[in-house]
Amino acid sequence: MKSNIKKYAMFISIVICIVIIYLCTLMGVASISFLDANKILLDQIFHINFGMEDISEGAIAIIWNVRLPRIILAFVTGGALAICGAAYQGIFKNPMADPYILGVSSGAALGASIGIVMNFSSSFLGLNGVALLAFIGSFLTILVVYNISRVGRKVPVATLLLSGIAIGQSLGALMSLLMIFNQDDLSHIMFWTMGSLNGKGWNQVIAVLPYVVFGCVMMLTSVRELDIMLLGEETATQLGVDTESLKKKILFSSSLITAAVVSVTGIIGFVGLIIPHIVRMVTGPKHRTLVPFSFLFGGAFLILCDTIARTVAGQEIPVGIITAAFGGPFFVYLLRKRKKGGM
Amino acid sequence: MERLMPRIMLNFRNVVAGYGDADILSRFNAVVCQGEFVGLIGPNGAGKSTLLKCLSGLLPLKSGEIILEGKDNTTYSQRQRAQMVAVVPQSFDIDYDFSVEDIVLMGRNPYLSFKVKESQYDYDVVTEAMHATKTLQFRKRLFNTLSGGEKQRVIIARAIAQEPDIILLDEPTSALDIHHQIEIMELIRNLNLKKSMTVVAVLHDINLASRYCNRLVLMKNGSVIVDGTPEQVITEENLKKVYDMKMFIQENKLFGKPEIIPLRVIKEAEFYHSLRVHVICGGNNASQILEELEAMGHRVTAGVVNQGSDDWMVCDALGIPMIEERPFTVISNENQAKNMELMKDCDVILISDLPFGHGNVNNLKGLEDLKGTIYFHTNCLNNDFTDGTLTQYLEQIKAKKTVTEISSHEEFVEIIKALTRIDENKE
Repeated sequence: MKSNIKKYAMFISIVICIVIIYLCTLMGVASISFLDANKILLDQIFHINFGMEDISEGAIAIIWNVRLPRIILAFVTGGALAICGAAYQGIFKNPMADPYILGVSSGAALGASIGIVMNFSSSFLGLNGVALLAFIGSFLTILVVYNISRVGRKVPVATLLLSGIAIGQSLGALMSLLMIFNQDDLSHIMFWTMGSLNGKGWNQVIAVLPYVVFGCVMMLTSVRELDIMLLGEETATQLGVDTESLKKKILFSSSLITAAVVSVTGIIGFVGLIIPHIVRMVTGPKHRTLVPFSFLFGGAFLILCDTIARTVAGQEIPVGIITAAFGGPFFVYLLRKRKKGGM
Repeated sequence: MERLMPRIMLNFRNVVAGYGDADILSRFNAVVCQGEFVGLIGPNGAGKSTLLKCLSGLLPLKSGEIILEGKDNTTYSQRQRAQMVAVVPQSFDIDYDFSVEDIVLMGRNPYLSFKVKESQYDYDVVTEAMHATKTLQFRKRLFNTLSGGEKQRVIIARAIAQEPDIILLDEPTSALDIHHQIEIMELIRNLNLKKSMTVVAVLHDINLASRYCNRLVLMKNGSVIVDGTPEQVITEENLKKVYDMKMFIQENKLFGKPEIIPLRVIKEAEFYHSLRVHVICGGNNASQILEELEAMGHRVTAGVVNQGSDDWMVCDALGIPMIEERPFTVISNENQAKNMELMKDCDVILISDLPFGHGNVNNLKGLEDLKGTIYFHTNCLNNDFTDGTLTQYLEQIKAKKTVTEISSHEEFVEIIKALTRIDENKE
């Protein structure tokens, strides 16, 4: 009975997400009429022609090559960050954990800064030079943090979190140094670190998607063990969970997803931290429901934030600002409302 | 017939383990057979919980080996081990809103590997486990909303759902009230008897251990002091080696098992000058005062005491020298003389709260000739069945000596304390 409601809820959520994607595609600064936009979508997706003659090439390009891929990227990014946050909060048993907690963001930012400063412009697998360096930076950071904290076969969670913070801080300092000596690129780097989906197209979607799909599969196959990890590592071990390999699996897949996403979009904060909490308040702590719903809700949340970012002001606002500005107060409201808290 | 050849479930051979450089377990040896209910007892820091940690694969051994069902424990994966060994911790709290059923279902994890969905069989096992622990009625409730005893039953249900051969319990009752302590112990004994599950339990409560376990292992400093039946292990001699305290072992008539009555740990003797004190007792009211005087370090004697009375048992347990008389017998002149002899060089003589009759009033004969100070509990006059002999003797004593009247034993203790307290400032 209860699982029926859950299946139903999942279906509804997916429909809502599709509706959000659809509605947001229709919105934007360029004035394309509601009717035209629908015609373009029908033509491009289902190849049903309702008279495309009077629609300009530009309009088609805006809908199909600018708005839609950007929205889909927002969905994938938001979802990916949210499930990484959910998984990290689970294995670290720490409500403060987010996808960036192990220094991934600092590594990515430093990589990107180097790319921007050096005007690195070659590209590879759909990623431009800056993104590529950001990806390498974030992944290297994780490897360093992981190996610093490793004691034999074990990786104590507390050490992992602390060395993540320490390495993150040092890399942040290096980036600040770069910015000071390259004042010309200052604003460029600043914008990058605030995260933006501006100007992203199908290439980026395709570049990110394999990592995200791979990560999702890894997470969905560990949902039961992630639940048990919430009881503490000792209990988990006694219930037959190989905690060290589970940690490795989650760290590896989360880092891969986060690195891929961050390298493309820059650092979009808050989604990975609060979405899992909000979802947990509704679905409870079981990862079997928490992970998929976090993906859907995180994705929808980022689409909405990004739509605001690109339509509200005359100028593009970095989406990281919107996520924090709206997410923060909303989260505080939820916390107050449900003091009991399912953290 | 299998009973004749017990299967060895666990074999600890010279197990050494610990944290950092310190060895908590030092050459621990023991064998546990199928169907046993073994209690690990011993003081804090003896290594009992560490032993369970080694067994459940949380702490690697420094040397020695643990043979679990015929194979070295280190050769098992966590998953394989969790199919054989289930652990019930002292208390268990979670910060997350899992339902009772969720928690019990986690016990099936060792059998599920990469399968994400539990099968009908898994649910059947879980239902059966909740039925056995009487937790079925609150399966949908959140674990966090349960009481301590209910939580512990759920955790035991989870352990049962693991379908283990061995169940390890780490002080399963120490966070519970007395009702729930017994409830949990009975539940475990049922598992042991009905499902012939092998049980190894760390227990702090020696009396619970003695009552429920069929074998006890007394540990100290990481190795075995004694290993045997409760009757063999729970003796004053053994326990004295491990617990530095005064205690008293007696047989619990109801369960036919030995039981410990802990007396005291703090040695008060060093605060007081020692006196020779004789207590005239023999009823049921002087036990406490005898024990307190003894603990203060006074050289206590008692008499004449009828065998079998409470006072007699306490003197016997504490090793207080006394003059005894057979039960329900008039004190013989011989014993009365012996008692006089004992009181001769006493500093203080207490006539404790005691009913006097023709049988024991002789105790007071001739006290007027002794040098010791005499204290008299006035309540004796309310239980005077001597038709005047008691008052007659008292008058005789009072004619020659001062008799200090007291109305309670506490008052006497205060007087003696004031008299004998060593003033630290003076010295």
